[in-house]
Amino acid sequence: MSFHVLFLVSILAGFIGAMSGMGGGVILIPVLTLFGMDIKYAIAVSIVSVIATSSGSASAYVRDRITNLKVGMFLEMFTIVGALAGAAITLVSGRRILFILFGIVLLSSWFALLRQRSEGWRQASHQDIFSRWLELKGSYYDRSVGQTIVYHGTRAYLGGPLMFGAGVIAGLLGIGAGALKVLIHDLVMGLPPKVSTTTSNLIIGVTALAGASVYLAAGMIDPGLTAPVILGVVFGAFMGTRLLVRLTNQAVRRIFLGVLLVLGVEMILRGIWGV
Amino acid sequence: MHVSTHPLEKAKSGHHFDMESLVGYILLTGVLLSVAFLAVAFVWRWARVGNLRFEHSIVGMNFFEFILSTLRQMASQAFRPRLFLNMGIGVLMLTPFVRVLASVFYFAFVEHNWKYTLFTGFVLSVLTYSLFLR
Repeated sequence: MSFHVLFLVSILAGFIGAMSGMGGGVILIPVLTLFGMDIKYAIAVSIVSVIATSSGSASAYVRDRITNLKVGMFLEMFTIVGALAGAAITLVSGRRILFILFGIVLLSSWFALLRQRSEGWRQASHQDIFSRWLELKGSYYDRSVGQTIVYHGTRAYLGGPLMFGAGVIAGLLGIGAGALKVLIHDLVMGLPPKVSTTTSNLIIGVTALAGASVYLAAGMIDPGLTAPVILGVVFGAFMGTRLLVRLTNQAVRRIFLGVLLVLGVEMILRGIWGV
Repeated sequence: MHVSTHPLEKAKSGHHFDMESLVGYILLTGVLLSVAFLAVAFVWRWARVGNLRFEHSIVGMNFFEFILSTLRQMASQAFRPRLFLNMGIGVLMLTPFVRVLASVFYFAFVEHNWKYTLFTGFVLSVLTYSLFLR
């Protein structure tokens, strides 16, 4: 694949990924395979670019003191082991099954976005002993309401193992699996939406590195293919975040829903028919 | 939901250098440095041979050997666009690793939080092991 195609596809993926908040990988991999790239190489290239986008945005959120570092660092123990396992599975699994799994993840994201969670957040009534021992608490200044929100995380005993699963998916398919991580933070651990999104962002970088190390060892990270993708995704994500303020949420959501549905169905069909 | 109104709280806490600043700046520096290396590699390649195609692979070596071999070639003054490209990818992959390494030291020597020193130490060990794979 030529530099121009890789670069342009990656800009598009980074752009849509940043605007939708779903990350670049879910768009990048299906499109790269449409241009003829082997799905396993597309996964390997994508997971390296995920390090770039997640680290770039996490740096801002961490310095804004919204990210909960302790929650992130506790959960990373599970996601990295999951990512290693996931990437190892990809190396030995058939390509058609990867297409089908990817399609299922795309359609699940489509479904999750369709039934978008409500922004309302209520503090969990009590914190279990384990989560208290883990010091899973924090506060951040919420600019939109002009107040400092104090919160605590719960059910870490459940959140950890579930995060292992999110790590497996990330390593297996070369994506951040941010939507799944956010869901675990929100529904299981009771973190406020802003904290769960930004903390998930921090975890994604380390998780992607664990997965990338397996692909690197397998000789699947081709610098000539990876570099244009990193540059494109970073550039696209930068533009996407700038444009986000100008487009209405509803328009972005509708575009992204359409893209997810088409790519999801297309990936499953290619997996079934073997094309 | 516990809510308090201290808009200046965040601004005040931002004055001293804490773990958030450390982690935030490591991530930012890593990504910017990586993008800069990659951009130099492509511009240089274009200026030298008129195309942007790099055809070399990372096979038969682990991540640290990859970094060391790139640095060794650069140290022997063999500056080539290909080496800048390798450095861009290497720096990017080192970014989360350095972030975890710094967290271990911060938890151990600044916060004296042994629980989290152990947690981040585990993450560091697993990552180190995986980057030694080949």
